[in-house]
Amino acid sequence: MDFKLTEEQELIKKNMREFCEKYVDPIAAEIDENSRHPAEVFQKLAEGDWMGIPIPAQYGGSGADYLTHICAVEELARSCASTGFTVSIHVGIASMLILLFGNEEQKKTFLVPLAKGEKLGAFVLTEPGAGTDVMAATTTAVLDGDHYVINGTKTFTSNGPTGDTYLVFAWTDKAAGRKGMSAFIVPRGTPGMTAGNHFAKMGLRSSQTSEMLFKDCRVPKANLLGKEGNGLAMAMTGFDHGRTGIAAQAVGIIQAALEESVRYAKERVQFGQPIARHQAIAWMIADMATDLNAARFLTYHAAWLKDQGQPFSKEASMAKLFASEKAMHHTIKAVQIQGGYGYCKGAKVERLMRDAKITEIYEGTSEAQRMVISGNVLR
Amino acid sequence: MPHIVVCFKWVIDETYLRRAPGGGLDFSSVDYKLSDYDRNAIEEAVRIRTALGGTVTGITVGPPEAAKGVKDALSRGMDAGVFIADPAFVDLDPSQTVSLIAQAVRNHVGPFDLIICGEGSGDLYAQQVGPRLAEALGIDCVAFATQISLEGGTLTAQRRLEGVIEVVTAPLPALVTVLPEINTPRIPGVKDTLMAGKKPVRTLAKGDLGATGGPRLQTLAVRAAAMERACEKFGVEEAEVIRFVDALKKRGVLA
Ligand SMILES: Cc1cc2nc3c(=O)[nH]c(=O)nc-3n(C[C@H](O)[C@H](O)[C@H](O)COP(=O)(O)OP(=O)(O)OC[C@H]3O[C@@H](n4cnc5c(N)ncnc54)[C@H](O)[C@@H]3O)c2cc1C
Repeated sequence: MDFKLTEEQELIKKNMREFCEKYVDPIAAEIDENSRHPAEVFQKLAEGDWMGIPIPAQYGGSGADYLTHICAVEELARSCASTGFTVSIHVGIASMLILLFGNEEQKKTFLVPLAKGEKLGAFVLTEPGAGTDVMAATTTAVLDGDHYVINGTKTFTSNGPTGDTYLVFAWTDKAAGRKGMSAFIVPRGTPGMTAGNHFAKMGLRSSQTSEMLFKDCRVPKANLLGKEGNGLAMAMTGFDHGRTGIAAQAVGIIQAALEESVRYAKERVQFGQPIARHQAIAWMIADMATDLNAARFLTYHAAWLKDQGQPFSKEASMAKLFASEKAMHHTIKAVQIQGGYGYCKGAKVERLMRDAKITEIYEGTSEAQRMVISGNVLR
Repeated sequence: MPHIVVCFKWVIDETYLRRAPGGGLDFSSVDYKLSDYDRNAIEEAVRIRTALGGTVTGITVGPPEAAKGVKDALSRGMDAGVFIADPAFVDLDPSQTVSLIAQAVRNHVGPFDLIICGEGSGDLYAQQVGPRLAEALGIDCVAFATQISLEGGTLTAQRRLEGVIEVVTAPLPALVTVLPEINTPRIPGVKDTLMAGKKPVRTLAKGDLGATGGPRLQTLAVRAAAMERACEKFGVEEAEVIRFVDALKKRGVLA
């Protein structure tokens, strides 16, 4: 057993920390306030090869392992949960699915610019009537000559307004049930695909979320990802990777909550001593530090399994479930520790608390994770 | 095309230092980093190589664990490394460090045009290694440079001194120590770090080099500096100003 990151992983994680201190921390509050996508930060991320860490060099990536990518997401989220998430879904789902299931031509055309960070990826599955219940989707893709024609309405698409390369899931054979959905690579600007309403959100505000509308959107047959009917299975594989990323996002949030709490509890004096000396506060911090370790180990373990080529669905769900619920719990405590000041704009913990909530919802709610885990355990 | 040698040191990251009960320092949870000033030294060497071509060789002395520091340094753009490693090479005196580096440069590095050091190390900050190394190698030393250039076998450097900027030239080979404002060190990208492990590193053991001589410094104790904070308010009237000056005297701020 070995609980150590490699020298490379450690150095890369530290470099990401330095990157965040220089480029992300100074703008994190502002992009939250203004719901702004920080294109300038993504430009810098691309320059430092941060947008395709686990993608092999031949496809424009860095050729490192998945755990290294997870470490980068954690550090980014520690400064800005939205930025961490955008990288996570871009790499962990959009790019990984093309890497795992795309043909050589698709990898050259679509994966290379994604991995280089020249293009931003999006994952388009959820519909107004189909959230946890993916099978309730109604979007269809009908073959017409050399094209599939996609019709339907998708919602809650992250990077919807800002993306370049969309992985769109639609029924090619509804009657075939779980084997009837397919996935398509749809580049921005394809006629018939538009971003609909943008969502104004409680947290994760600098990540851009919108509806995606498909009206007779003609997608070349060559853009079918993997095999027809394999869409749902691919989406689930995407979730294994993506959920590990959300777990890392939550770990970054807990880390930030802990740092903010320790700093404040040592500085704030009430009843003649720093509040850290009041046991009620000290114990909150003890619990935070303990859960942080546990969440981080679950997360790294899931990524490590992935890197070993072993199944990691259950572990990814466990990491995501545990880390996200602890992130919510401890960011509430972090606000509590800072009292009225923590409740006001300008306190980092206020943003952390709003950002933490989404980690319990997207890429499968906590309830959905419990379904996956119990399904695995009770099998 | 110049061959530039950069000296760097893997030091304790001071953000992890804690004060131990009893006034000492607690090193139990420290982590290490590339000395901040050396990042500027490396950056400057790489900047010159990018402009003029040539190669950059990094050199460090330390315990075997400093191998991570070698990787870190190489990820910042240098071409090759020389790692003088031995478990005994912790807390060396500047004189001992210089003796090791000088021998390695003479016998294992080959001809060079310029040596760049940071102005001092992030831990001891004795500012000794640069000037002493120049002395040991018998080359000119220009300390505290804020800008340097190489042309036709000559180093031209701006030095920031108290109140003035001095511009000096020196024939190559020469040694220069640089101040942080000389450049902004890069943050290595992911590929830079991954590639660092593939660059050539020559590891020299104690036995590959001659004796260094004993330490000339004796460390008696290391104590955490205590920072006292106090808040006292004064008015602007004459009597208050006198009271203010007295208070400063009492605290030893004014003599
Ligand atoms: C900011 C944001 C970004 C998102 N990004 C993307 C994206 O990029 N791509 C994408 O495709 N989707 C995205 N989503 C969608 C997200 O994955 C869904 O919101 C999520 O899957 C839940 O679906 P829902 O919102 O429809 O909730 P519902 O499925 O309606 O769930 C409502 C509640 O019922 C519970 N519930 C549902 N079914 C069961 C059950 N069988 N047993 C017990 N409890 C149940 C849920 O856990 C939840 O608590 C995003 C959402 C948000 C808010």
